[in-house]
Amino acid sequence: MRAIKLLPFAAALLFAQPNPVADGIAAFHRGDYQAARTDLERAPNDPQARLFLALTRAATGGCEAALPELTRGFAAGDNRRLAGLALAQCYVGAKRFAEAGAVVAQLEKLFPADADVLYVSADYHMKAWNDAIYRMYQKAPSSYRVDQLSAEVFETQGKYTEAVAEYRKAIEKNPKAINLHYRLGRALLQQSHDPAVLAQARKEFEAELALNPSDAVAEYQVGQILTAEQKKTEAAPHFERAAQLRPDFPEALVAVAKLRMEARRYPEAIALLERAVKLQPRNETAHYNLMMAYRNAGRAGDAEREKAELDRLQKPPEGEFTEFLKRLGDKK
Amino acid sequence: MKRAIALFCLAHAAAQAPDFRNVAEQAGLTTPIPNGGSASKQFILETTGSGVAFLDYDNDGLADIFVASGPGSPSRMYHNEGGGKFRDVSQSLGFTREGWAQGVCAGDYDNDGYTDLFVTYWGQNALYRNVGGKRFEDVTAKLHLTQDRVRYNTGCAFLDYDNDGKLDLFVANYLKFDFNTTPKPGANPYCFYRGIAVNCGPRGLPFERNILYHNEGGIFRDVSAESGVSRPDGHYSLGVLTGDFNGDGLTDIYVASDQTPSILYINQGNGKFVDEAMMRGAALDDNGKALSGMGVAAADYLHEGMPSIFRTNFSDELETLYRNLGKGEFQDVSVDSGMGRNTRFVGWGCGFFDFDNDGWPDLLLVNGHAFPEVDRLKIDIHYRERAILYRNDHGKFVDISESAGPGILERHSSRGLAFADYDNDGLVEALVNNQNEPPSLLRLGSRPSNHWIELTLEGVKANRSAIGARVRITAGGFSQTAEVRSGGGYLSQSDLRLHFGLGTAAQVDKVEITWPGGAKQVETALAADRIVRIRER
Repeated sequence: MRAIKLLPFAAALLFAQPNPVADGIAAFHRGDYQAARTDLERAPNDPQARLFLALTRAATGGCEAALPELTRGFAAGDNRRLAGLALAQCYVGAKRFAEAGAVVAQLEKLFPADADVLYVSADYHMKAWNDAIYRMYQKAPSSYRVDQLSAEVFETQGKYTEAVAEYRKAIEKNPKAINLHYRLGRALLQQSHDPAVLAQARKEFEAELALNPSDAVAEYQVGQILTAEQKKTEAAPHFERAAQLRPDFPEALVAVAKLRMEARRYPEAIALLERAVKLQPRNETAHYNLMMAYRNAGRAGDAEREKAELDRLQKPPEGEFTEFLKRLGDKK
Repeated sequence: MKRAIALFCLAHAAAQAPDFRNVAEQAGLTTPIPNGGSASKQFILETTGSGVAFLDYDNDGLADIFVASGPGSPSRMYHNEGGGKFRDVSQSLGFTREGWAQGVCAGDYDNDGYTDLFVTYWGQNALYRNVGGKRFEDVTAKLHLTQDRVRYNTGCAFLDYDNDGKLDLFVANYLKFDFNTTPKPGANPYCFYRGIAVNCGPRGLPFERNILYHNEGGIFRDVSAESGVSRPDGHYSLGVLTGDFNGDGLTDIYVASDQTPSILYINQGNGKFVDEAMMRGAALDDNGKALSGMGVAAADYLHEGMPSIFRTNFSDELETLYRNLGKGEFQDVSVDSGMGRNTRFVGWGCGFFDFDNDGWPDLLLVNGHAFPEVDRLKIDIHYRERAILYRNDHGKFVDISESAGPGILERHSSRGLAFADYDNDGLVEALVNNQNEPPSLLRLGSRPSNHWIELTLEGVKANRSAIGARVRITAGGFSQTAEVRSGGGYLSQSDLRLHFGLGTAAQVDKVEITWPGGAKQVETALAADRIVRIRER
């Protein structure tokens, strides 16, 4: 009877026993690494404790000692995600980018929509990129590639005047390098709205074509500029050639289709545009022009079908306005 | 052969460069019109600005001026005193209200012979009844036009969509805006422009629906739902243009929409409208992209007898000219017609007017960026910009802005634009609403030698303002068509009189009028260089 009475008390005592593994993991998750370390070190034979101890070490700058356990943890088990994230960050920190890349690739495959994984991936790419640039500036400072890279960075920052200057420097150093004239032409178009710039940009695209006559995109750009300059007759052969060079280039197909539509050769235009939408099902320009071609050819049903597709593509992303509508109390 | 000779003469006469000057100060238009911030703007409401109007409110034969204003000043009415002078009569006529005035449109809704005025607001709109040309009475509530909540009303137009002789009213709505809930600059990705924090929208802000009111003779009734006007969803509506675009005798409505497809409400003839812009080729550009439509104008710019549509857009976009191919089917001909190059401007007010009277409607558009902050970027896009003047050279538009006089080159952040021959000399002047500055009044400094005629139409069975009447004139061997319109451009109202340049022709051989409702009337052998009043028979 007495023993029976004591049972609940004994159970309570039993549950109150310290569990260093659970406590250590909890401390790790709340960022109390000192407590985590103390607790986890008390269970050296527990595999989970070893992994979280490695994670704790990694989080506190002890990557080198943590690597073997993190590698094991990433290979299998319930905590692959955590182990992989720490492993990737350790490799990035040690500038072991090849190994980091392999881990990141596997992480992205296992957890494709995980924000932490994507963050670590972005961090890895950024640091690897910085490292590569640093080495290029150190080892080949006068190379045209340095100027090209500077120009591309300026472009991404929207600093087109600076980008143009850098591209020009790169071209001066290596006038025969492929793609530089094209990039310069594009930067020129971005830099200024002055119609005079069109001619300058066209010159660059033509220079690109002189170096690489099979560059369909440069060919297309020449056609676009001539069109803007109202030299449509001169533009036409450039579009035709771009489409011949790359029959899988939707923009060129659309441009040629527009020429056919102007000539009222609707069946030919339709064939080109149908090919363009097949190549790029979300290309609104191709769908729109296909709709107009059907309309002009008297194929009302097909035009309506294309319109429905275009409406679907142009619909704003779901949820874009939901919050505001809710606040205004007028959600439809 | 006769036609060829006539066209040669017209072209020859049109060769001299215009010299537009801003004569606002001499005319007495010196009061700045407030409209939000000048150095930065916290909310989109500060960007859309306001319209202007030319209307002859007292029937003295001289076009008067109305300028809509943001908070800080009432909207202003200026009486045309003759001799090129205007006098501020706002207070005495009853224009004392302050608020976020947006659009303005005119029409004689009660057919009493005096042109009434409708002003749209973020907030309650105002219908001002013209009482004998002596004062304006706010009859908004009396005529059931009070709205049940705060709305962002923008463009407007009177039109007689059912041809019952009474003017109905269309009001475009931009979006749902509230000072308390709208995010501040930089708050989300829709609140940045080229990396700098700017006011948010329109993307990211909720859409609003357009409104149609039917004139029931005494009151207006909201028929938006039953007419189908409220049906299109997902548009940020600004400029409104009415016209019979498909030639069926019924007035249709085109709405320039910001960052969304523009709307073409085709009048079905049974009180219903259907948006057919997409299939008719007037919603997007020829790349299938929805541009930032602001102002909108129409003209028979090719002498084809059909109204084509022009729309102003944002920077890094082309202006859009939709050629009417007949039966209301359109094709984007912007680049082919000569408009492929002006991409640094944010365009607002626009309108066709034959400044040199050569018989080919030219095109003026006024500009100014939505974001004053753009000046910090030190690029070739500016908050204050010059206007653009295109000369219509037999259907091709030639940009002559740089040589069109100092008035065109002045830099302002302009919004509304309206036209009238306010001094009755046969040359059309332009009135511009500039943000936080006095308006501009653009007038030619020298006179082209071409002939002209102006027509004042008066409906009898049709509405008295003759809004919706279509006119075809034949002179010098060719024909031109035009339509009497309320509203138009960017939230503005041009003189209801129709102006035609006649080139070297000293006589109009024939004037054919199709009144709203379909009645035809023909006048012949009208001498040029005068204003002719034509009453519906």
